[in-house]
Amino acid sequence: MSKTGIFYSFNSTKTAKAAEKIKEAFGPDFNIVPVNAEELTEELFLSFTNLILGVPTWFDGELPNYWDEFVPALEGLNLNGKTIAIFGLGNQVEYPENFGDAVGIMAELVQEIGAKLVGYTSAEGYEYESSKALVDSKFVGLILDQETQPRQSKERIANWVNDLKSQFSW
Amino acid sequence: MTTVPKVFSVKTTPKEILEKWYRLMTLGRAIDEKAPNYLKQAIGWSYHAPYAGHDGIQLAIGQTFEKEIDHIFLYYRDMLTALSCGMTAEEIILNGISKATDPTSGGRHMSNHFAKPDWHIHNVSSLTGNHTLHAVGVARAIKYYDEKAVAFSVQGESSLSEGYVYEAINGASKEKLPVIFCIQDNGYGISVPKKDQTANRKVANNFTGFKNLKIIHCNGKDVFDSMNAMYEAKRHALETGMPVMVQANCIRIHSHSNSDRHELYRSEAERNYVLDYDPLFKYKRMLIRYERFTVEELEKIENETKIQLKEAHKLALKAPDPDPNTYLDFVLPEPYQPQKYIDGTHQETGEKKKLITGLNETLKAEFRNNPDTFMWGQDMANKDKGGIFNVSKGLQQEFGPQRVFNAPIAEDFIVGTANGMSRYDEKIRIVIEGAEFADYFWPAMEQYVDSSHDYWRSNGQFTPNVTIRLASGGYIGGGLYHSQNIEGSLASIPGVRIVYPSFADDAAGLLRTAIRSRGMTMFMEPKALYNDPKAATVIPDDFEVPFGKARIRREGEDLVMITYGNTTHMCLEAAERLSKEGASVEVIDLRSLIPLDKETILNSVKRIGKVMVVHEDKVHSGFGAEITSMIMEEAFEYLDGPVKRIGSTFTPVGFHRSFERMILPNTEKIYNAAKDVLAY
Repeated sequence: MSKTGIFYSFNSTKTAKAAEKIKEAFGPDFNIVPVNAEELTEELFLSFTNLILGVPTWFDGELPNYWDEFVPALEGLNLNGKTIAIFGLGNQVEYPENFGDAVGIMAELVQEIGAKLVGYTSAEGYEYESSKALVDSKFVGLILDQETQPRQSKERIANWVNDLKSQFSW
Repeated sequence: MTTVPKVFSVKTTPKEILEKWYRLMTLGRAIDEKAPNYLKQAIGWSYHAPYAGHDGIQLAIGQTFEKEIDHIFLYYRDMLTALSCGMTAEEIILNGISKATDPTSGGRHMSNHFAKPDWHIHNVSSLTGNHTLHAVGVARAIKYYDEKAVAFSVQGESSLSEGYVYEAINGASKEKLPVIFCIQDNGYGISVPKKDQTANRKVANNFTGFKNLKIIHCNGKDVFDSMNAMYEAKRHALETGMPVMVQANCIRIHSHSNSDRHELYRSEAERNYVLDYDPLFKYKRMLIRYERFTVEELEKIENETKIQLKEAHKLALKAPDPDPNTYLDFVLPEPYQPQKYIDGTHQETGEKKKLITGLNETLKAEFRNNPDTFMWGQDMANKDKGGIFNVSKGLQQEFGPQRVFNAPIAEDFIVGTANGMSRYDEKIRIVIEGAEFADYFWPAMEQYVDSSHDYWRSNGQFTPNVTIRLASGGYIGGGLYHSQNIEGSLASIPGVRIVYPSFADDAAGLLRTAIRSRGMTMFMEPKALYNDPKAATVIPDDFEVPFGKARIRREGEDLVMITYGNTTHMCLEAAERLSKEGASVEVIDLRSLIPLDKETILNSVKRIGKVMVVHEDKVHSGFGAEITSMIMEEAFEYLDGPVKRIGSTFTPVGFHRSFERMILPNTEKIYNAAKDVLAY
């Protein structure tokens, strides 16, 4: 059976909570392994076939420091055969110019080194100005806005996880 | 979006470079953290704006700067930038604790303002973004003299709210100048969040519509992203000669300064959030993670840095304090001293020339005399039009559009870029029309006041060699915006000479002296006299008038009128009329207000005893108030009556001629007042 990991910062609050909700949504039949993104190594990263990456947007459209520090390592990897889905938290009211940018930055990075990206979502229902996560009218991952649309997160997670169940090889 | 090549990365950058950066960052942070202790111990550094959180971009800006070739203008948070430019820890502390050997200013300027003018690290104002115009001005010189160099204007994102920063960026875009605007965005202007400054969080994007301007965004907290951004910015500016704006996202880990408490307006969560992204710790983690350094190696560097700082601290403490008795030094540099016309008079005979001709011919002569003379202003150089009054007629045709050109309708830009351009080389002399009329000069006051500080603030290391010409005064039916006098308001600002001729020869001679002098001179032109035959005189070709030397235009024994500008002629007319009634009236044409010829004034006052001070500007707080007070203080016992002041009323100058007659002084008003004074 393929190995599936969900990567996020164990020191985070909202991203960690979203990761737990995602894991729950898969249900007990799916073994999703939590991995602390703050303690990543190349070997650990490559030991999974399906990877769910929790990448919140920091500041005015940046990766969090723990992901940013992993980028030089990531750029040296070959992710052929890996299937990756990305989720991230953003705030479309306070930061409309870079809503969910980090999801887009990470998506571009992993695709450049061979990963298959899955888990695209509809951009409808959000109001923002610009997002690096928007490609061909779709988000390249799941963007959760716990600040201004917290009540929609449950359904968004459920829909996304259902899609991932069919996209990942198990 | 601009793609920046990845020239620097943690994996590929040579180890010695990584080490140099780590040493600079560690040293900078150590000083940044130590600075508040100097204040606690009452040693100094009473103003400290910590830079922690800006580490990546400040390191990168300094590493990109080439001393003595490029020009850089730092702001008050740029401690690491200064170190990265090459300044030493000792020099930083000397500034912090205001020692006589502080390379910025010898203790005259605030702490945390780091400069080293010899290296082209310029001494700047505390006024946020004020130096943006200077960077554009010096870049104009870089381009004119075809130097392979750039000008860096380094500032916080809130400075982009200032109108003059817009003027500067517009100018660099229009003139295609190699300026790198380095915007360090930490999200706050003191306690004011970015959302209260502008609608656009990515503030640099407010400038996307500017032609010729490349905009680069980078992570100012990350060394490699910042280095790549600055490397690309400099490459682009050098190769294309075009401006670049780099917006670096930073964090402010501490309060704005030691007089601010950020816990009053930032939540604990936010303060912790920025701490998580401490750029120094991130750089250190990466050096270890990617096995470029061991923990032990980095600890060794940290320990060596501590010793380095300790040594710098000791040396700085031993340095001498400034001598307060030098406070009068460097207000104004010594002016050009006329060689032939020592007292600014002549006996030449021949054809009389109008005042405007005197100005025009003197400008041309000085432009021929010094190839490093430049002139710009509003509406002054377009084909056959040489200014609204034709003072600059023919100059652009003769000297070309690189030396004589129109500026945008932006008075602060006109003055600020003159200051900046004159920083390039001592030999440069700049003449500007500060505004189309003196009344429109007020937007330039920001640069005027700041430029007036430069010589003093830099401890004599820099003075803007600029002559500001302004068509001034009324009697043309011009109303509120074409008829005012502003010299009374300007005269309380030290650091600028103010001259105001009344006759063509003095206008020519003072202009020549102003252009040849170091320092700033405000050259007021009585526009009502430009073409008036009564101001026409014979003008020797090489006439010069020294500053601070009045001219007695008519000698007398019963009353002395001290005057300048338009009212000189009115006083002469009134004196002539009074002479027919048996009164002998002396008329002193001051010519210079700053410096003031007190000797000539007091000699006449003591000899005559009855005094009038006459000028066109308002009596209320006009320059006459200063002259009158000086006479009271220094020659009271010689007075036969009160000093009478005549000038305009404490109102604006109205447009209708009847208002002008009511408001402005004239021969009749002077005559009547003289009768009163003579009666004592």
